[in-house]
Amino acid sequence: MAESPEHEGAAAPPPRRRTAGRRSGPPGGGWGSRLPGGGWGGRPPGGGWGALALALPAWLVLGVFFLLPLALMLGVSGAERGVYGGLRPVADLAAYLRSGAFLASYRQTLQALYLGIAWRSLWMAALTTGLCVAIGFPAAYALALHAPPRRKGLLLGLVVVPLWTSFLIRTYAWMFILRSEGLLNHLLLGAGLASRPLPMLYTGGAVIVGLVYGELPFMILPLYAALERLDRTLLEAAADLGAGRAAVVRRVTVPLALPGLVAGVVLVFVPSLGQFVVSDLLGGAHTMLLGNLIQNQFAVARNQPFGAALAFELTAAVLLLLAAGARLGAGRAAGAAGAGAGAAGKAANEASASGQPQRSWELL
Amino acid sequence: MTGACIGARILAALLALPLALACGGGPGDARGARRLNVYIWTNYLPAEVVSDFQRRSGIRVEIDTYSSNEALLEKLLSGVADYDLVVPSDYMLQALVAQRLLLPLDRRRLPGFANLDPRLLDRKFDPGNRFSLPYLWGTTGIGYDRLKVGAPVDSWGALFDPRWAGRILMLDDMREAFGAALLLDGRSINERDPAALRRAAARLRAQKPLVRTYNSSEFASLLAAGDVDLAQGWNGELAKVVAQDRRRFAYVVPREGGTLWIDSLAVPSTARHLDAVYAFLAYLLEPPVAARVVGGVRYASANRAARPLVDPAIRDDPAVYPPPAVLDRCELIEDLGTLTPLLDRLWTEVKAR
Amino acid sequence: MTHPPHPPRWPRALLAAHTAAVYLFLYLPIAVLMAFSFNRARQTAAWEGFTLSWYGEMLRDERLLGAVRNSLVIAALATVLATVIGTMAALAFAPAGSRPRRGRGATEVLLLLPVILPEVVLGAALLTLFGAWRLRLSLATVLIAHVVFSISYVALVVRARLAGLDPALAEAARDLGAGSWEVFRRITLPLALPGIAAGALLVFTLSIDDYVVTSFVAGAGATTLPLYVYSLLKAGVTPEINAVSTALLAVTVALIAAAHRLLRHEPGSAG
Repeated sequence: MAESPEHEGAAAPPPRRRTAGRRSGPPGGGWGSRLPGGGWGGRPPGGGWGALALALPAWLVLGVFFLLPLALMLGVSGAERGVYGGLRPVADLAAYLRSGAFLASYRQTLQALYLGIAWRSLWMAALTTGLCVAIGFPAAYALALHAPPRRKGLLLGLVVVPLWTSFLIRTYAWMFILRSEGLLNHLLLGAGLASRPLPMLYTGGAVIVGLVYGELPFMILPLYAALERLDRTLLEAAADLGAGRAAVVRRVTVPLALPGLVAGVVLVFVPSLGQFVVSDLLGGAHTMLLGNLIQNQFAVARNQPFGAALAFELTAAVLLLLAAGARLGAGRAAGAAGAGAGAAGKAANEASASGQPQRSWELL
Repeated sequence: MTGACIGARILAALLALPLALACGGGPGDARGARRLNVYIWTNYLPAEVVSDFQRRSGIRVEIDTYSSNEALLEKLLSGVADYDLVVPSDYMLQALVAQRLLLPLDRRRLPGFANLDPRLLDRKFDPGNRFSLPYLWGTTGIGYDRLKVGAPVDSWGALFDPRWAGRILMLDDMREAFGAALLLDGRSINERDPAALRRAAARLRAQKPLVRTYNSSEFASLLAAGDVDLAQGWNGELAKVVAQDRRRFAYVVPREGGTLWIDSLAVPSTARHLDAVYAFLAYLLEPPVAARVVGGVRYASANRAARPLVDPAIRDDPAVYPPPAVLDRCELIEDLGTLTPLLDRLWTEVKAR
Repeated sequence: MTHPPHPPRWPRALLAAHTAAVYLFLYLPIAVLMAFSFNRARQTAAWEGFTLSWYGEMLRDERLLGAVRNSLVIAALATVLATVIGTMAALAFAPAGSRPRRGRGATEVLLLLPVILPEVVLGAALLTLFGAWRLRLSLATVLIAHVVFSISYVALVVRARLAGLDPALAEAARDLGAGSWEVFRRITLPLALPGIAAGALLVFTLSIDDYVVTSFVAGAGATTLPLYVYSLLKAGVTPEINAVSTALLAVTVALIAAAHRLLRHEPGSAG
């Protein structure tokens, strides 16, 4: 509906304000890829004090019920395991600290065995994320750009609905489907496609299926959001300028959707790292991943210091990854947005190229 | 209608929901009614046994379940879990006693104590049974498909046999898995020699490609469904499968030995409803009640006086009530104390590769 | 304006097929779940006849109903609390123009930590805290835990929404003489509402389905649905679980549909 005015506007450099203003798309603007600095441009009510008052409850609740227990756990990670699984009481705190014994658990996490587990988990999470992108991007693209507008909400809702069933139950459903007496084998045997039941359950493949299944909606949603806010006129302009279909996707769509992609990757990668249920149920508990390892320390080995140390290291690693990704992704997003826009005609995009880059996780 | 208006209405609706639900009568809000909080293994108390008790005594029984001893320990260590009755396994009972998390039992309030099987009393994990009453007991062994395996199985070696590659199931339990390997080596399941433990770990690592899955909850159903031909498992569940088709399935405690496990009733030191607990314990000690428990869970009861009352099909099932010869070669699992981290590390190595 | 040559049909068809396959994939277990909640057979995949007996068993299961009630109560309360607190936090720290706010980095990390930290650790940490305070485990402790890990999700979602808002609207309002509070109430809040709603929905989902943290901090009589389902699964999968899931799904979908209808007349709530 707003298309034709934009077409005319794209030919001549419009004044900056109008580009960032209402005509650029549905009210509410886009995901910020075209806005200078993003943000709702306002101050919280009450100014600075208002901001403090607004933030106070969150800080209070999280401070008391999150940071405080976390500090306790940090202390636990520096302690030693007691005989029966509690903590060994420390007689002389000063001596204990001086001797560096409080780092024992952390030192243990650096052993080859555990680094190997971390590496395998990383790889598995990366594989899951990659598959989610490969499967999710085309689907999100179709939803955002090809689906009839009246159905979009419904279709998107349908993507979310599976999340409303218990994750555990959905995983058990997969077991039901994949096991020797399960649905798939039943169908295969019945259709004569197999002479004996295929062992599908308790394989690495089953784990990947389960992981991808659980995480796919979390990839589709941010991608959809990013693609949906995309200015179609840019794509059309690129096509007008002679870019083939694939080139349009590669050089305009993907770069412009990059923030959504980054958000999706974060939403899928991080939980995948800490997964343990799927590899236990669908993988036959063959592989010990980081999530299993940490879970084990708290559940079986009763070695809380070690478990806490592992968890904190995982958290720190992810934070670093996110920070690095934000710097990279943000820079890339700004540059890509500029490049993508450039392919569609520089005029329309002075704003975004000069604007402050969006931080990746703001798009979660 | 503005957005904020709608939002406010939704917020109000959401707030009203819990109030409505909570007023609908939640668990444990019956004022004046006595109450008992039980924390027990899944499927360890038949529903009709509980409801019968509730009817007789007027005490409302609240049951929460756990599926690992360590989860129980975690809750009791925190000191704020508010359970009146727990059912730890042998080695966990040992740990709980050592950490003074249990209340000594007043034997005078439990005349049914005499009904208990003396063989199960006065064990290392609770000398003199100051803190616990044995509840159910059993063995760990191998359930197998006779038609597929052919010859009768009588050794743990069957689980390590390459002939059955991909058709073997092991319990996802560190102590039980190591137990099988240690027994095969001729050692005790409570072996403390690190070298012997390492050898057992090597055996388990070599076995891993043969194992279809490590699973502690579905070993029986997977055997019954034909996903595996040999399954390490606890006798009760396997006995149920065997009873369904004796021609096809069998359960055996191998000749090298097996695990004898005893789960006991105990009272946490933080328990608040002591009258209710003693009433329930006395109830469970009654022979007819114990017999009904056995019928429901198909594990052997520690209640000797109940045995004549048990369904003959179960009573004469050697899988459920093993003969003395079998019991003699079984051992109780003991807590390994400071060796647990080593064992966990070895287990991690088995699982990680 | 001339139109570009019509693009070839086949990529679109392929895309549509791919998307259909994705939906099929997403719904296969759900369909199986629902179908077999009506199956007379207990374990096998063979269809043995239609029956509603599992639903009957589900309704007769007192512990199950109690668990459902607990879950709903906690989810509702957690949604309200977390949404309010999280939205306030998002408003306080949303990027406002190009001025970076002091302390934003710290808040970023604070908000991210509950999302990143493995749930096992959060659960164990909270249990330790409650133990140290001698705070008895109950529905209240579960509620606290749920609110704690939910605030971040709301804050992040709302902040993303706020980041995408058009600053020109707020500026225009201010130009027209609206005070800070009025701008907030009549421009920002309504525009942010879809984000807030999305955040609330997310919290509800997370709370209803949470197992790990809840297993640590639930006390006697505070069994929630996931805990109960887990114990049912350990006891052996029966179709009663299928019935439970189907029923819960149906109720949730109905709720969402109703909410969607309510919000449909909402200006600016595109998508």
